[in-house]
Amino acid sequence: MYPDRKTIRRRRAIFGALVATSLALLTVWFGEPAGGALHALQRGAQEAFSPIQTGASRALKPFRDAIAWTGDTLSAKGENDRLSDEVGRLRQELAATQTARRDVEQLQGFVDIAREGSFPQGTEPVTARVIARSPTVWWSSVQINKGTGDGIEVDQPVITGDGLAGKVTSVTSGTATITLIADERSSVSAQVMPAGADGIVRPKVGNPDDLLLDFVEKGSRIRTGQTVVTSGFSSSRGLDSLFPRGVPVGRVKKIDRSELDIYQTVHIEPFAELKRMDFVQVLTAAQPGARAEVPSQ
Amino acid sequence: MKLSRSAALRVGLIVLVAVLVQVSVVAQVPILGGRANLIPVAVGALALLGGSLTGAAAGFVAGLLLDLAMGMSLGGSSLVLTSVGYAIGRFAELRDVSHGLLPIAVAAAATLGYDVAYGAMTFMQDIEATVSVLVLRGMLVGVLLNALIALPVFALVRRIARPLVAEGRFDGRRRGRPREAGPIGLRGLGLGGR
Repeated sequence: MYPDRKTIRRRRAIFGALVATSLALLTVWFGEPAGGALHALQRGAQEAFSPIQTGASRALKPFRDAIAWTGDTLSAKGENDRLSDEVGRLRQELAATQTARRDVEQLQGFVDIAREGSFPQGTEPVTARVIARSPTVWWSSVQINKGTGDGIEVDQPVITGDGLAGKVTSVTSGTATITLIADERSSVSAQVMPAGADGIVRPKVGNPDDLLLDFVEKGSRIRTGQTVVTSGFSSSRGLDSLFPRGVPVGRVKKIDRSELDIYQTVHIEPFAELKRMDFVQVLTAAQPGARAEVPSQ
Repeated sequence: MKLSRSAALRVGLIVLVAVLVQVSVVAQVPILGGRANLIPVAVGALALLGGSLTGAAAGFVAGLLLDLAMGMSLGGSSLVLTSVGYAIGRFAELRDVSHGLLPIAVAAAATLGYDVAYGAMTFMQDIEATVSVLVLRGMLVGVLLNALIALPVFALVRRIARPLVAEGRFDGRRRGRPREAGPIGLRGLGLGGR
């Protein structure tokens, strides 16, 4: 039986209404401030979903681990070779660092350096479990099982045991949404160490294993393998970076030097495994008297 | 088609479970640089079973739940999934949907449609970041993974959404008359068929 005109009209009207509702939601959502009605509704929904997401995430962890183990085993051999090389290099660096550290300790006795609040000082890491991920191919956000009740606030930096992961963009009493540094809207001021060349870390959208350090002056001497950390700038106008100084971001893996460009672009391999994080730490503001701990995870 | 209350509840349940399992479990398991995505597969299955209205409604609800749960741009996923569900539903209403391997093609098309449309919508938000070609790899792997899981997911959805099947949306046979071969031009006047 073929549908009559009334049915066809009804079908089109309902489809049109759903599309129009979606467009209206999008328009209002982008137009309203973070404290607006739709954002509040979203926070309420996240709070309602969080126990279910936490339960599902925990219950099905063995399943996730089994699949991840298969992939890890396949890549383990190559990883082993790379790590052996890295251990040799790190041994040399350790010896150099220990010598430098002894020098610094002696020099600190002579120079009273007023230490600014740098990572992890001035912050109190709150460890949280990743309970949900956005399913798009953009690797843009994750959700964690800690919220305002644990001292988490919007714009606080988020790290893994390896390096910078992102920042908090939305928070409820029991959950928080983390926008990763691989999200298209992310930008982080950073420096290449030890040269100190400044730049802005931007994502290469869709590839969380490749970040770009943009706006690096051409004269800066940068080599592959060097470490990139957050620069944590602050200006006299009160415009401060959200990220504290010294949080490791990644390792330089390639440098693009084009004759035509004013700046050079540095490709960075992030330390944090953005595709596969089970736990993160949110660097919350330290309470007076609280002891700042070096994150262990 | 008007859904019975039981069918609507089952559709809602399928959509809710698909969204929760996707964001809590499936999205956390990257395979070959991509991830499976249950949501377009579930919406595609419901559209194939229930037709365009069911598909559009399921897509809208799934998108809304996803945007609410993940703090994404509210309405963005709804817009994309409503269109995906409606398109697959119309396809099911107009074509023979009895072939046993059709779910694979539908799941792949739904996933590709979702990824491309969501990507286009993201670009419309004027992003300034560089986009990696690996997005294409992620999409391709996602489409392949969804094609792989299509048959079990469709079977499960069909089992749960039995009222839709009972209401005659998907009985395994072609519905309605085949197109009549009328005089050229008469179809446009509503005389020669649909």
